[in-house]
Amino acid sequence: MLEKKVAIVTGGTRGIGREIVLMLAREGADVAFTYLKSGQEAEKLVNEVKGLGRRCLGVAVDVRDFEKAKEFIEKVKNELDGLDILINNAGITKDKAIMLTAKEDWRDVIDTNLGGVYNMTRNAIITFLKQKSGNIVNMTSISGIIGMARQTNYAASKAGVIGFTKSLAREVSAYNIRVNAVAPGFIDTDMTAGLVEKYKGEIEKSIPLGRLGTVTDVAQAVRFLLSDSADFITGQVIIVDGGLSLQL
Amino acid sequence: MQEIDTEIKDLIAKVIEKEPDEIDPNARFAEDLGVDSMMALEILAAIEKKYKITIPEEKLMQFTTLNETVKIAKEFLDKKDA
Repeated sequence: MLEKKVAIVTGGTRGIGREIVLMLAREGADVAFTYLKSGQEAEKLVNEVKGLGRRCLGVAVDVRDFEKAKEFIEKVKNELDGLDILINNAGITKDKAIMLTAKEDWRDVIDTNLGGVYNMTRNAIITFLKQKSGNIVNMTSISGIIGMARQTNYAASKAGVIGFTKSLAREVSAYNIRVNAVAPGFIDTDMTAGLVEKYKGEIEKSIPLGRLGTVTDVAQAVRFLLSDSADFITGQVIIVDGGLSLQL
Repeated sequence: MQEIDTEIKDLIAKVIEKEPDEIDPNARFAEDLGVDSMMALEILAAIEKKYKITIPEEKLMQFTTLNETVKIAKEFLDKKDA
């Protein structure tokens, strides 16, 4: 499906990002991903992707850094010969009650989850505009749609990503560039591990489909948005939450 | 007027949907010709494609008139030939 395409995934070594990297490679794309600290996992993933017969780059990039994002995108374009797909996935949480949320907790989450989307997209968009094609998928969260207690920073960043997605979709639609978002609910990853362990039974009860989501559930939604089947879809948010947000 | 001047003038005319004769070499793109940032980018992309050169995006802000655009294109053509 994605043969001869070059894709970038930010935050590619763990959880949803890792699954998206592997999905892209299985679909035939060459993949470059960023990571922050997980150097060993990155090396393993590069080898895994290469094992699928695709080219792969794993680079340590803090998505909060505009210049580093720029260097990374230039490197990908040079070494993998182009750029067709951008998946803005890198994200962090620092869940706290608002009265305990320090300025740094606020800034780190907003700068990574929302600022990172700007930094990567701003540096990739001219390539897409010039070639009159491109596909962007931003990872948001149901937290940014329905809100979650103790996640004011995270929810604000993810709601911001939705506004960004819709505005950019309008701005670049004439250039054959589609921009969409995927909003996962409770997905079984490192990010939700602490929460899930404590409240697993309750969480599962609150999800109409009766289970936590898997990283594959999310990667499949991304796969759909990148496919020709989604050719007429832009500026949308696909919620992958087993129906959780329906009840609220 | 050199050949490249005419070529770039034609190319700009096509992007901004005007007749080449309507483009004064010193007319300001934004103020006089209604060129927006996306059109400027299309001009840059068209020049890159025609002459098989790469112009850094930072130069985009300097695409202010036909004369300036030709100057930048020549600069990068010279670099290519060097």
